[in-house]
Amino acid sequence: MHTKVTVEPLIDDEYRGEPPTKRVLAYLQAQREEGAKIVGIYCGYAPVELIRAFDLVPASLCAFSNATIEAAEAHLPANLCPLIKSSYGYILKDVCPFFAMSDAVIAETTCDGKKKMFELIADRKSMHVMDLPQLPDEPEALDNWTAMIHKLRRFLESVFDRTATDDQIEGAIKLANERTRWVNRIFDYTALDPPVIAWPELNEALFLAQSASSEDMASILDGVVKKLEKRKRDGFVYGPTGAPRVMVTGCPVGGDALKVLDTIEKAGGVIVALESCSGSKPYAEFIEEDTGDPIRAIAARYLKIPCACMTPNTRRFIEIDRLIQRFKPDAVVDVVLQACHGFNIESVRVGEHVQQKHGLPFLKILTDFSQSDVGQIRTRVEALLETVPVRQACDEAFHRCKEEKT
Amino acid sequence: MRQAGIDIGSRTVKLALIEDNHLIFARKTFTSHDPLETALSLVREVKYDTITATGYGRHLVKDFLECSVISEIKAFAMGARAILPRCRLILDIGGQDTKAISLSESGEMNKFEMNDRCAAGTGRFLEVMAVALGYSLDEFSKAALLAKREEQINSTCTVFAESEVISLTARGAARHEVALGIHKAIVSRSIALLRRVSASQEVFFAGGVALNDCVRALIGRELNVPVFVPPDPQIVGAFGAALHAAGWNGNVRTVSGAVES
Repeated sequence: MHTKVTVEPLIDDEYRGEPPTKRVLAYLQAQREEGAKIVGIYCGYAPVELIRAFDLVPASLCAFSNATIEAAEAHLPANLCPLIKSSYGYILKDVCPFFAMSDAVIAETTCDGKKKMFELIADRKSMHVMDLPQLPDEPEALDNWTAMIHKLRRFLESVFDRTATDDQIEGAIKLANERTRWVNRIFDYTALDPPVIAWPELNEALFLAQSASSEDMASILDGVVKKLEKRKRDGFVYGPTGAPRVMVTGCPVGGDALKVLDTIEKAGGVIVALESCSGSKPYAEFIEEDTGDPIRAIAARYLKIPCACMTPNTRRFIEIDRLIQRFKPDAVVDVVLQACHGFNIESVRVGEHVQQKHGLPFLKILTDFSQSDVGQIRTRVEALLETVPVRQACDEAFHRCKEEKT
Repeated sequence: MRQAGIDIGSRTVKLALIEDNHLIFARKTFTSHDPLETALSLVREVKYDTITATGYGRHLVKDFLECSVISEIKAFAMGARAILPRCRLILDIGGQDTKAISLSESGEMNKFEMNDRCAAGTGRFLEVMAVALGYSLDEFSKAALLAKREEQINSTCTVFAESEVISLTARGAARHEVALGIHKAIVSRSIALLRRVSASQEVFFAGGVALNDCVRALIGRELNVPVFVPPDPQIVGAFGAALHAAGWNGNVRTVSGAVES
């Protein structure tokens, strides 16, 4: 059973216990008050290092709230990715503070739904659409994406009437790599058996990193590592004793979609890896430093992001292998958002790969942002976790353990 | 030592009692608007040492009963395996949901697929259509078996299919041919679910709809495989839950009443 350990929240400020979006919003507002300009982004492919080199602050416009979807369905089809609907609904209702404070917006041609949704919001803000190559292993892909990032540079120069030198871009690259090293140090605590931290608590700690500069994040991340080290020393265990370790992969999960992670925890699992853009993907690779061509170096890193819009998405399987090796999950859950054909079809191969190459039980969950399927998700997750050989405690005890959390 | 298993479904609650892994008592009742009370009153009627709950309402009873909880996937896998040790593929069509489960050779759950969001393909679908055609459920299945050809039903939705059925009969379509069309519709959904978990092989068919001879015949014919229906197809989940309460390790030799290979 758990040892009695006082556990401090990882970030101890006035936003503890609140949804992490509040902390980010406050950060952005403070930045704005000091005269900073904000650039809204929609995707993990947005090259934030370039944005930061311009001394601009990125703000994620990807929304995970079910509340704005109804409004979006006045224009968008109901059978569409909830992320797209939610984001659009916010803008339609003009209730998105992040969009409101964005001085420019960057979009990428990732999937059909996003491409066409961007058209509907194009005249609200200065928007720049980047043409993302989708065959990442072709040599032209790197050339083209590099050209696109050059275009973005010119867009930012024109909108914000300022420049960023190659040195400044190189500086931003180094800071990003430094942050990636820090975050991976934190992931080491999830890799422990038993872990002292897992997702979704990790999500809370890292969320601010979407917008905060590396300098601002440094002290926060340092504090987090120190607290995790203390947890480890005190023998703290995250989750029930002997909890099955779960790796979640697939579409981004946040906000109302966190119901999937919460359900896994309620069913007695502990989420040791989150292979998605809202998880470890931004920290999976480093950008090559001092190449003499920082834009090309950035392009090369970004093309490695294994989104299902890429074909073939070989890197997803490589990344899954790396994560399985590092975090040693007992089972894998692939979260696919409703109407996301890319991730849904890719799930066939992911399932085969996980089951055949790694011998791990696998479950695909197809869901949206509503609460209506929480019971169904729970049944499936329980069925999955029942196939994991029990680690220490017997079946009875770990069902009782999870009752404490329910 | 006696163990109990309770399967709290959204339409019916099933209770099974076992002794030495042998089924000694089984009871089914309608869930009603108060599944908790229905489940508790069923349980109060019997004496047992340990109990496991499964089904849609399994978490409801946890605060009122000393019980373990397992998913209905596991419960059906255990129950089916105990009744038919060679079982590798299970189809359960209940009142409001349908599931397909494939088992490995050693009886472990391999893959499962559930339809628990849409009435089409569940017992509800058949009930609604039987009423629309003026049959009892029993007459419905017999009528479908008599038909030489079917009236094809195009709507996938239960509500629209009902309208379609009514307009077919209004236009003079033969009732038993419409009945066959309905049975074929539910069978094609079930087969689609089965195909997602396994290649064609003998099907262990459980749930209330397994009592429907036409559905059973059509599945066998369509997949060209034997279809095994246990004597009490609705009790499989509760039986599996009781086996879990007994700590059954999956060794089919310790289960009496199991069908020989």
